[in-house]
Amino acid sequence: MKATCGAQALFIVGCGGCAKKCATGDEAAILALSDSLKKAGKIVLGTVIVDSACDMRLLKRDLLKNEAFLKSDKAVVLACGAGAGALSALTDKKIVTGLNSKYLGTVERANITHKFCGVCAQECVLNETAGICPKTRCSKGLISGSCGGYANGKCEADIMKDCAWCLIYNKRK
Amino acid sequence: MKFKDKLKTNDFIITAELFPPKGTDISGVLERAEIIAPFVDAVNITDNQRASMRVGSLAMCAKLLQKGIEPVLQIACRDKNKIALQSELLSASVLGIDNILIISGDHPNAGDCKDAKPVYDLDPVRLLKAARGLEAGADLSGKPLKGSPKFCLGAVVNPQANPDGLQVEMFNKKVEAGAEFFQTQVIFDAGAFKKFYEKLPKNGKIKVLVGVSLIHSVKFMQFLQTLPGVVIPESVQSRMLGAQDPLDEGIKICAELIKSLKSFAHGVHIMAIGKEEHIPKIIEASKIQEELN
Repeated sequence: MKATCGAQALFIVGCGGCAKKCATGDEAAILALSDSLKKAGKIVLGTVIVDSACDMRLLKRDLLKNEAFLKSDKAVVLACGAGAGALSALTDKKIVTGLNSKYLGTVERANITHKFCGVCAQECVLNETAGICPKTRCSKGLISGSCGGYANGKCEADIMKDCAWCLIYNKRK
Repeated sequence: MKFKDKLKTNDFIITAELFPPKGTDISGVLERAEIIAPFVDAVNITDNQRASMRVGSLAMCAKLLQKGIEPVLQIACRDKNKIALQSELLSASVLGIDNILIISGDHPNAGDCKDAKPVYDLDPVRLLKAARGLEAGADLSGKPLKGSPKFCLGAVVNPQANPDGLQVEMFNKKVEAGAEFFQTQVIFDAGAFKKFYEKLPKNGKIKVLVGVSLIHSVKFMQFLQTLPGVVIPESVQSRMLGAQDPLDEGIKICAELIKSLKSFAHGVHIMAIGKEEHIPKIIEASKIQEELN
């Protein structure tokens, strides 16, 4: 809400990709945000859900000729940083990111996601680690193997968490 | 005899560790170093142990050297990126510190600055390789060095971590990366260590110093039980709980353990954690134990 300061007329951009799966950028999320903005005295000029907010081609198609979007003071983006960044690169309009994305999630079921990949683009080791990423799943991000702090397969930094290297070791056996 | 040369002998090796203070008054650490120095082959200085900010290991090691005490510099991968880690290795060499113990380091979650960034830019295996690379005359980017260091490199292993097969795997990786000696997590059961030790490949060159600790009070025993990978057998727990003089009992327990390790292990690394002044008593008691048998 703080980031919308100084703007009266807003436009909300949802995302039909990951944010929709996480229920943070779908119709219901847009409606909820729209209600709170209105309660705060703002005007919501329009909303749209882009199939994938991280795809600049789709943003161009869906937004750059949208009159409500063009008239708005600021656009609130309910997508990850890739979506907000894409829109920011396409327009001079002030962009407000409505979400605080935690990670690239693997969906197990509704509302249960896991961080299995850090999209680090640096020497991917999955071929050597039985498909389990130690950079992402080991609390210390150790690439060559475990530390000595695990106990019964759990991590020293968080006993609720599996030690990534124990998972790798057991899967390789 | 230098620590590196001692590792090449069949002598039983004894090292002990001291931790630097939180603050600039290092007099207590230096006093304790002088008390234990005649009884040990080298004194290991911890690197911000338990992820708690203290005087740096490098500075304390340099101070020990000035007093003629041979130090082992601990370097944790937790706090420095690969530039700082390599630089630390070169700095150690320039100061005349050759013995380096490379550890990952407890996660910041364990310390007093829990929001500190866990760096781990290199892990211990990679840092061992980097150190060997520096010896060969090049840094991690392949740039040549003007003057190369020479190290005696150590690493750590935890005999009581479950699954232990993963620790055997890590032992082998660290040996391959250049480790010449190992220090283990604290153990209180010689039999449990022996079981693990028998799983390690034997080439006679790599020395394993078994971590032993002085339990000086029941409260301290309870603290030790919270540390990752520390297992205290029931027999030790009941001896401490029933002891009239817990410190004296702790010294006996530690001395007996060292004595039983002498029959098959290469040496011990004593972690007396704040009670280092009792280390000479422990070592003397372990010798008396040995003579009695």
